Parts: sequence; C-alpha cells; structure tokens
Amino acid sequence: MAELTDIQNEDIRYEIEEYLERDEEIERNIELFARVSPGMQDLAAALIEGDNGAVDQMTRDALEKGIEATEIMDDGLIAGMGIVGIKFRENFIFVPEVLACARAMKAGMTHIEPILSASGVKPVGKVIMGTVKGDLHDIGKNLCAMMLRGSGFEVIDLGVDTSPDDFIDAVEEHGANLLGMSALLTTTMPNMAKTVEAFIDADLRDEVQIMVGGAPVTQEFADDMGADGYGKDALACVSLAKELIGAKA
Amino acid sequence: MPKVSMPKVSVVDETVPAMTGRERVLAALGRLPVDRTPVCNPTSVATVELMDLVDAPFPAANRDPELMARLAATGYTELGFDTIMPVFSIIQESSALGCSIQWEQKDNWPTVRMNQPIWKTADDVHIPTDVLAHPDMRCVLDAIAILKREYGDEVAIVGKTMGPWSLGYHCFGVEPFLLMTLDDPDQTKAILDRLKKITIDFGVAQIEAGADALTLPDHATGDLVSGEYYERYLRDLHIEFAQAIPIPLILHICGRTVDRMEYIAQTGMAAFHYDSKNKPAESMEIIGDRISLVGNINNPETLFSKGPEVVREEVYGNLEAGVPLVGPECAIPLQTSIENLREIPLAVRDWHREKDQAQTEPAGSNEPSRPAN
Repeated sequence: MAELTDIQNEDIRYEIEEYLERDEEIERNIELFARVSPGMQDLAAALIEGDNGAVDQMTRDALEKGIEATEIMDDGLIAGMGIVGIKFRENFIFVPEVLACARAMKAGMTHIEPILSASGVKPVGKVIMGTVKGDLHDIGKNLCAMMLRGSGFEVIDLGVDTSPDDFIDAVEEHGANLLGMSALLTTTMPNMAKTVEAFIDADLRDEVQIMVGGAPVTQEFADDMGADGYGKDALACVSLAKELIGAKA
Repeated sequence: MPKVSMPKVSVVDETVPAMTGRERVLAALGRLPVDRTPVCNPTSVATVELMDLVDAPFPAANRDPELMARLAATGYTELGFDTIMPVFSIIQESSALGCSIQWEQKDNWPTVRMNQPIWKTADDVHIPTDVLAHPDMRCVLDAIAILKREYGDEVAIVGKTMGPWSLGYHCFGVEPFLLMTLDDPDQTKAILDRLKKITIDFGVAQIEAGADALTLPDHATGDLVSGEYYERYLRDLHIEFAQAIPIPLILHICGRTVDRMEYIAQTGMAAFHYDSKNKPAESMEIIGDRISLVGNINNPETLFSKGPEVVREEVYGNLEAGVPLVGPECAIPLQTSIENLREIPLAVRDWHREKDQAQTEPAGSNEPSRPAN
C-alpha cells in the first residue's frame, strides 16, 4: 500500500492532504500518484494549477520523449482533473478555477487527441450532450463534456437551444448510447421531459440512457421526468455516465 | 462567522394601523414596524396563465409598455402581492448595449445570446449617451409610469436595474468573463467600474418614472463563484450603488449565498432577495437586523411542481424564522399555477391571524383570508 511520501511532487502531496476528505478518494489518489512517473505528477500539478502554458509545453515535451499518449492522458491530465473535480464538488474551488483547469486540459488534449484518433483507441462510450430548447446557458454542460472527454468518452456536443428532434437525430446519426441534457432555467426544465417523451414517441427510449443536470434540476425532478440519472456536477456526471454504461453493458 | 442575536426585523406590530401594500413594503424594506409581513416578488411573477388572463403574452409583454404594465399589474390584482414588478427578464440593458437577444415565445423568457459576446476588453466597454432612449429601456420606464399612475397609491412599484457582474456575463460571455476574473483582475475591475454607470443611470431613471424600490440582480451566484469573489469584486460597488441610488435597493443573487451574506449585509442595500438553497433561519442569523431578507419560496420543486399546502409550509417557515418580506426565491417558472401563487399571501394572512389568535383569544384577524382583488 502506497504512502503519501511515495509521491514525489510536493504540490500533489499538498493537494491530497489539504483538499481530499473521503478516505477512499485519499487512498485512490495516493495509489495513483505514487504509481505514476514524476513527470506525469508534474503535469497533473500544472493542470490543477490551471497553468495552460505549462501543460501545453509539458505535454509536447513528454510526447517528444516518447511517452505514450495514453499515459500522458491518464496519468497526467485525467489524474489531475480528478483532483480538480473533487475540489469543485467540495466548494474549495469554483467555476473560474475549473474553467482555467479545463483550459489547461484542452491545451494538453490538443496534442493527445490526434494521436489517439490515429491509433484507433476505442472510447469508453459515446455521449450526445446539449442544453435543451430555449436555453442558451452552456457553462455546466461544457464542463461535463470536458470531464467526460477527459474520462475517455467520445462527446458529440450539440451546443445550446437543442430541440428534441436534434437530440434524436444526433443519437441516431452517431449511434450514441448516452444522452446528457442540461437546463439552467426553470422555464426550460420541462423541455427535458419533452425530449424524453420524444424519444419514447420515436421508439428510441430503450436505445439510450438519459442523464440530466443543471442548477435548478433535482433528483426528484429527474425521476419524475423519467430520466435514467441526475448529476449534481461535472464529477457526478462522469460517475453517472460510467455507471449507466456499466448498467447497460 | 460571528453569531448575532435574533434580529429585530419583521417587526409586526398589532398597534400599527392597517397599511397599504406600498406602505407595508417600504416599511419592511426600512426595517420599520408593519401591520403584517408583506408579500413581495422582486424578480417576476409573470406566468402563462396570467398572460392569457389579461392578453399580454411574451415576448410582446417584454417590449410593449402597455402590455408590460398590464401583465405586471396581475401580481397585485390577481395574486394579491404587495408589489408590482414590470421587468420580467434581465435583458433590457444588454439589449440596449447591443447584445443579441433571443426573444423567445410565450412560454419562455428572453435570453441574451452570450455565445455572441459584444466586447473583449475593458476598452471595448461603451455605454451610449442615449442608452435610456433605447426602446427596451423606454419600455420599462413607460411601464413604470403607467403602473405608478394606476396603482401607485396602493402597492409598491418595484423596478429593476442590472448590476455590472451580470452585464459582464452578457456582454463578454460567461466563460470569457469568468476566466478574465482569474487572468486579469485589474481589467475585470475596470470593466465593472465602467458598467456601473448604466446600473445607476437606469435606476435613477426608473425612480423618476415612479419606482418605489429597485431590484438589483448581480449574479455572483454560489453556483459559479466564491463568497470571497463577492467581497473582492462586488461589495464596494454595491455599497456605491446603495449610496448613489436614493430609494431602497433589493440585491438579488441566486443560489447558495450564505458564504457571502456577511458581505452583503455590509452594503447598505435595503434588502437581499435570497434563494431556497439557503435556509431561512441560518440566513437570518447571518444577516441579523442589518438589512431585510426577501424570499425564499422554492420555484422548481414547490411553486412549479407541488401544491398549495407545500407552498404554505414554506411561507410559514420563512415567517417563523422572522424573514421580513415573503415571496418566491426568483422569477417564477412561467408554467406555475395561479393557485400556488395566491397561496403565498393567503398563507401570510393566515399565519398572522393564527399568531394573533394565539396571543389574544378569542379575538380574530380583521383581515379576511383572500387576495387583495
């Protein structure tokens, strides 16, 4: 069993000590970071700091040194985002800080994604994401999409103001088995239920697992509309997506 | 957070003569004695049912002053609230500044297309000298004048002027604006400082048109930013607004806000319109008697989804905690039933009557349990 002192990067040790409170998350992250190389620890620390310039440079350097793209993504970028997600969930950081980390993640993924695509690595699952009809707010949906991508999902982001027909067309076109809908307005929340109904009417409801989220949305509301799951935040969205994929498999 | 003794606000005084809604709201905002707790919505009570009732539908009721006034008046005539609020959305200033607006249909609020930002840096911020003459600004001013003329002696006419933080989202886009707050705090402060002019000017213009109080939404919500952000970027600006705008201001911020209520209480605003994510008692404990609280009946789960009995429970919860003005937590969902909204003033009256009866049996209330119409 690994110890905190097995982690070479001081910033990562500090992050675990200072911000992680759940025993299983502490143990998991100590095991993870004690296993990964010092270079990947440094990359994760830069991402947690939201330093997109450093992440960009370190990712390119790592690739030039011959480190596998999957190792950089899993042990550096995704490992770092895992801590970011926990800090956000626990209100140690807020959306501006998460956006900075997401920007850093994107800086690294810009170099990683073409390599992964070319090598034919299969995604964990395929997710259609969108903000529902009549709603132009996308910050939460974007964070979920970014976290899902970072966790190995292929995400087709339909953007904002997405009609039920657009969701249905995208699920059919891409053969996606997961759908994520977001709403920020109480006026647009009912459009989530309308989209679920549209999938039933199109005889496609059994083909796709539907996740919902957004500031005014609750588990109760999700249950009432017949969604398969509700995610309170981006971290919960990833857990839910993995759970639903597992449940379906 | 230092604890304070339970506040002296919500000073319901049986010796106070019966008040008009206007007198009641202004007294509560000034933390003065009232005959009963006022029912107030500082954001919007527009619903599809009310639109149909008075033939004043969205989107026209957001752009035509006659329709805006007619729909707003239903908050008093049909629901029995003590306030009338004609500004149903948060887009009038942004439209006047040049943002692209999706005006929507009857069943949805208009929204700024924030993925089409109009500015990138503080140097881009430009407030036209004739911004108050823009049709979407004039609409609000004319609607307030109509309402003041028709209802000004009876209920409080509440206007709305957007704060610079919310305008920052609209004009710069939410993500770019929030990233700028981290990347370039000085530029962020410069933007907020330049935008404050439209907040003050529109507020003052609404006072001249007849507004008794103003809601000032500034969405530094706990869903997006920390309480420390509020202190760093907004507290002093809000103090400035409270000093520059000479009528009661009601600050509105959605979401969990207990971590910034201490700072909000320092602003000199008359009131804070608070969300159901904050419990009435914990909020009152922080705010104390420094400003009034307004709220916080839950919108999506209660007013929109549940029945009058649950609405009544939440009204009673606020009254028991000593919240001085009771109403929905935010602009109510447009599909909310009139029955649920009418339950708020009914429950307030019943709560007071029960309290009176408990104190002076067998005397009953002088005020019947029915809407003001």
